[in-house]
Amino acid sequence: MSNAIQLSDVGWRAGSSFELRDVSLNVPTGSIYGFLGPNGSGKTTTIRLFMGMLKPDRGSISIFGRPVPRDMKPILARVGYVPERPHVYPSLTVAEQVRYHSSFFRLWDEGWAKELTGRLGLDPDQKIARMSKGETGKLLLLLALSQRPDLLVLDEPTDGLDPVVRRDVMSAVLDYVSQTSATVFISSHLVHELERICDWVGVMDGGQLVAELPMHRFKNGIKRLRVADAPHVLEELPFVVLSRQSDNGWGSTETWIVRGWEAPMRYELEGVGATLRDVVDLDLEESFVELLRSSRPSTRHGS
Amino acid sequence: MYQPMLYLHWKQIRLVLLPFMVAAFALPLVTVAGLGGAPAGTTETALNAYAIVEMVRFWLPVFPALAAAVGITLALSAWNWDHRLGHVYALSLPLSRTEYALLKMGAGATLAMLPGIALWLGAHVASAAVALPPGLHAYPNQLALRFALATLISYSVLFAMASGTVKTSMWILAGVSAVVVLGILGTDWTFLQDSALGTDPLQTVIDWLMQGPGPFEIFTTNWSLIDV
Repeated sequence: MSNAIQLSDVGWRAGSSFELRDVSLNVPTGSIYGFLGPNGSGKTTTIRLFMGMLKPDRGSISIFGRPVPRDMKPILARVGYVPERPHVYPSLTVAEQVRYHSSFFRLWDEGWAKELTGRLGLDPDQKIARMSKGETGKLLLLLALSQRPDLLVLDEPTDGLDPVVRRDVMSAVLDYVSQTSATVFISSHLVHELERICDWVGVMDGGQLVAELPMHRFKNGIKRLRVADAPHVLEELPFVVLSRQSDNGWGSTETWIVRGWEAPMRYELEGVGATLRDVVDLDLEESFVELLRSSRPSTRHGS
Repeated sequence: MYQPMLYLHWKQIRLVLLPFMVAAFALPLVTVAGLGGAPAGTTETALNAYAIVEMVRFWLPVFPALAAAVGITLALSAWNWDHRLGHVYALSLPLSRTEYALLKMGAGATLAMLPGIALWLGAHVASAAVALPPGLHAYPNQLALRFALATLISYSVLFAMASGTVKTSMWILAGVSAVVVLGILGTDWTFLQDSALGTDPLQTVIDWLMQGPGPFEIFTTNWSLIDV
């Protein structure tokens, strides 16, 4: 499977305050890729790097197989981008901003733009300076979708929007994807928002990509186990122990958060002298939190 | 692409541009206000000609000052929203940075001509309104052309400066300010006497910029609407 976006060992530093370290990311063509991470984890920086707005200190980036930033012009002609913060001109009306934006894109779909204007409830004559955050968000999406992009990059597109607007925005994105099989890269810290729509997920934390896997594996692969009589040192287990904690602080029973768990692995656990008491499925948000907790040095455990 | 860019610029700066256009139209009229004519060949005519030239000269510094103000304001306005929006929008468009800057520059330069056109009209109206004695001539086209060129020069220089980062602009301003302050403080520059800057680097730089063939020479040439 080819990759719409590919980052290999990308590093970037902003003074001494923030650093992106060895980010290697692969977004399969045609996928809906959820890019998760807490605020300040490096999601927007990563997006700005592959959008050619920042130049990496090391590593390589390509979009549709073309190198970034060298081939940005043909790349950006195929990319619809909704940035984290609104970037449209307040002195224009909706219709004027649409007209201005359309002049830069050869594949601009006028009919689709008009349809979206109505569907998203935007008033063409309304001045952007007087629009609410939700209306501005819808306008940005309209601009990005009407370009008929092969890749849609959405940076926190629903952050701060009310549930109704959020639903409108996400349904417009899904409609577009169902019609065109475009690749969607969507960053968010709202885990539930991505759970239903994404087929791949990447998790950023502290400037590093701490996980990248298909959504079904992310959802099903992280479990909470209750284990009794486990040895202190664990070796050669076929799953990754993200964290282990003694129940009540003194008993022989522990709670483990593990990744890559499958039912037959209980026998291998018993092989090291431990007894499995319980297996609990975590929802995506719990999985996300546990993954972040385990990626931070103070809580990491060996496998 | 150029037309939408021009329209965007117009929407962004029209409120600033319109007063400049009014001022540019009015300035030549103000210059000749109260000037009358006198029959040819009389003593009064000679006196009248002298008075006209003197009165017109009184307003001369205002023309280049207005041209500089128009250029500077338009250049700063051109980048205002891009800076505020962190250039994210511009950088997400399928254009090279050079192409985008040229489009923006072209649109701003086109609009910078509007006060020049207003001044050209005003200068023609003013020239027609005053009865000039023999030996004096009105130069509305030359004045308007000079105004347009001066506007373009100040616009271009400030546009280039404003296109950089705030940090770059601050460095340039700090450099210029440092030279000016040192000049005011009467710093001893004798150690530079063998260099191209001489013992008064501030004056040397000003001369180099403002006198022929310096880039700002046009600001110090003859801006008279009426002359011999």
